[in-house]
Amino acid sequence: MRLLVIEDDVTLRESLVRKLRDSGFAIEQAADGKEGLYFALEYPVDLAIIDLGLPEMSGLDLIREVRAKGKTYPILILTARDRWEDKVDGLSAGADDYVVKPFHFEEVEARVNALLRRSGGWASSVLEADPVSLDMTRQELKVRGEIIELTSFEYKIIEYLMLRAGQVISKADLTDRLYDQDFERDSNVIEVFIGRLRRKMDPDSSIAPIETLRGRGYRFALERNQTGSPDS
Amino acid sequence: MNSLSSRLLISVSVLLLLFFGATIAVLDTAFTEAGEQARRDILDGHIVTLLAAAEPGADGELALPARMREPRFGRIGSGLYAELLGMNGVLLWRSRSALGLEIPQGVVPELGKQLFARESFVDGTPLLTLSLAVEWEFDEGDSKSYVFKVAESLDSFNAQVAGFRRQLFGWFAAVALTMLLAFSLLLRGLMKPLRTIETEIGEIEEGRRVSLSNKFPKELTGVARNMNLLIDSERARSDRYRYTLDNLAHSLKTPLAAMRALLNDRQSEQFGKQFGDRFDEQIERMNEIVSYQLRKPAADKLVLKAVPVEKEVARLIDGLRKVYHDKGPDFEVRIESGMQFRGDSGDFLELAGNLLDNACKWCKRRVRITALASKGARSVASGMVLTVSDDGPGIPQDAADALLQRGMRLDESRPGHGIGLAVVKDIAHSYGGQLSIGKSDLGGAEITVSIPPVSSALSG
Repeated sequence: MRLLVIEDDVTLRESLVRKLRDSGFAIEQAADGKEGLYFALEYPVDLAIIDLGLPEMSGLDLIREVRAKGKTYPILILTARDRWEDKVDGLSAGADDYVVKPFHFEEVEARVNALLRRSGGWASSVLEADPVSLDMTRQELKVRGEIIELTSFEYKIIEYLMLRAGQVISKADLTDRLYDQDFERDSNVIEVFIGRLRRKMDPDSSIAPIETLRGRGYRFALERNQTGSPDS
Repeated sequence: MNSLSSRLLISVSVLLLLFFGATIAVLDTAFTEAGEQARRDILDGHIVTLLAAAEPGADGELALPARMREPRFGRIGSGLYAELLGMNGVLLWRSRSALGLEIPQGVVPELGKQLFARESFVDGTPLLTLSLAVEWEFDEGDSKSYVFKVAESLDSFNAQVAGFRRQLFGWFAAVALTMLLAFSLLLRGLMKPLRTIETEIGEIEEGRRVSLSNKFPKELTGVARNMNLLIDSERARSDRYRYTLDNLAHSLKTPLAAMRALLNDRQSEQFGKQFGDRFDEQIERMNEIVSYQLRKPAADKLVLKAVPVEKEVARLIDGLRKVYHDKGPDFEVRIESGMQFRGDSGDFLELAGNLLDNACKWCKRRVRITALASKGARSVASGMVLTVSDDGPGIPQDAADALLQRGMRLDESRPGHGIGLAVVKDIAHSYGGQLSIGKSDLGGAEITVSIPPVSSALSG
């Protein structure tokens, strides 16, 4: 998952970015509204965390601009103003949720996960597609009730595919969203990890959870048990 | 040009100047014309006298007596002159008064006609002349033509006109000055209440006076009354600010002291792990104190705006649908159409937002908001009864009272409930309203805020 963090306070931004990276997210960051808008429009982003009080361009204007340009990924606002007037303004501008400063990192992480899940059309933090289930809070993958041991990168791939179950995800997309550093980019690596995932989840090739579409990418192919309505 | 008095004085001066200028011009013309007409009549009379006195002389020409009845013809340089001219302008007779003077020839009128003209002596003295050309029939039967001419110096007339003008200007100047003086005195009188207001405001600023007196003319009592309202509200506001600031500063000192104590205790070994949690607890306390202050009602209620209730509630619900997307509460909205809340829109959003947010937090599925307008007998704007209910666990009655206290919480795992309601209570009170907590027919809590109609809340 690639997150965009736009926050002008250095201490806050660095702490947030460090903890989000520790949680396995790839991060883009910006310190002001204009730079933030550039990233928000030009980079592959799965979710943006935007402070409302930004220099150069206010968070509200930035959100309106991003929405006006047709970007639909979830936006979480950070705000020091907790009057309802301000929250409603932010939500009306196109944000999906808010966190009021000062906050605990766990709160932000929980909101981010919930928004990502919602944007994939899942209603609960346990993604279930029989016989596979993935618990986003615990970062745990089970097949037929058995916990499958995964490396953090394998987990990232299956989480991304399952969140977008049914959609075709290209290799380029996967590398874009999952790698934080440029130097690691090599599409062969993805193939290797997909292969390992298949062996771990489906050693006897009976359920075929990940489908390869030649030249297009991969798709998590199992039917979802329950579906929430995807966010517009 | 920012002074009202000088603006008025200048306008009046210009008006006076125009008015008197026109009057002087009219009077002057009338006087001059009447004077000249009188002169012409006199000259006419003299010509008749000359005609009557003329007789054929010994030399076959007309002749006039050396001494005329009119004494001014006989006095040298008297200003009234006469002459009789024969054929081809030959001078036949000239009055004694014109001795040594050359009366200009001028234009000779047609036979039988008379002609007035303005001429002048060689030395420039202006003259009004009347010439009459006649055909005189002698007894012998032959006839000759003559020109009778009388001239009068205009020196005295001009002097008279000049004198008249001097007097005219003098009097009008005196009248104008008197009027301006009277006017500026009047103005000073009229402006006096304004200066009094200024002085009294100065005294209020210096603290020697509490409010404006009520000894003002009718036109200014409204201004004075509103000024007093403004001063009162300003004073109340600054009192409130001071009180709030004082409160805030003091309430922040306790967690600060606790944090310092924690930092000191950290040195001691057995404390160790708890430090982070307990430090964070103090930060949370400070955060709540600050956040409560920030969400308090708008201080300034002098200007009441009409907040469209239906629209604002719709915005809130749109926002809350996003925030509580997973829970997906069913909202039931019953709002009188076209209903308005009189006050600050931020305050309304805070009222409805906190109540709805709490309801969403606690409900199983259903949230209902109703808003009714309440009308008073002499109200300027109607009041409002806002009710938000849910199908959650509800609030036990004994806890309800405690919940209305600042910062009290029922459930630590869902923070902010207490602060939200405390803020709602504060806002309701600031509009003279009430907050009550009860049981909803949906099964959960039902929280009602009643804001009275405006007249009884503010001016009552």
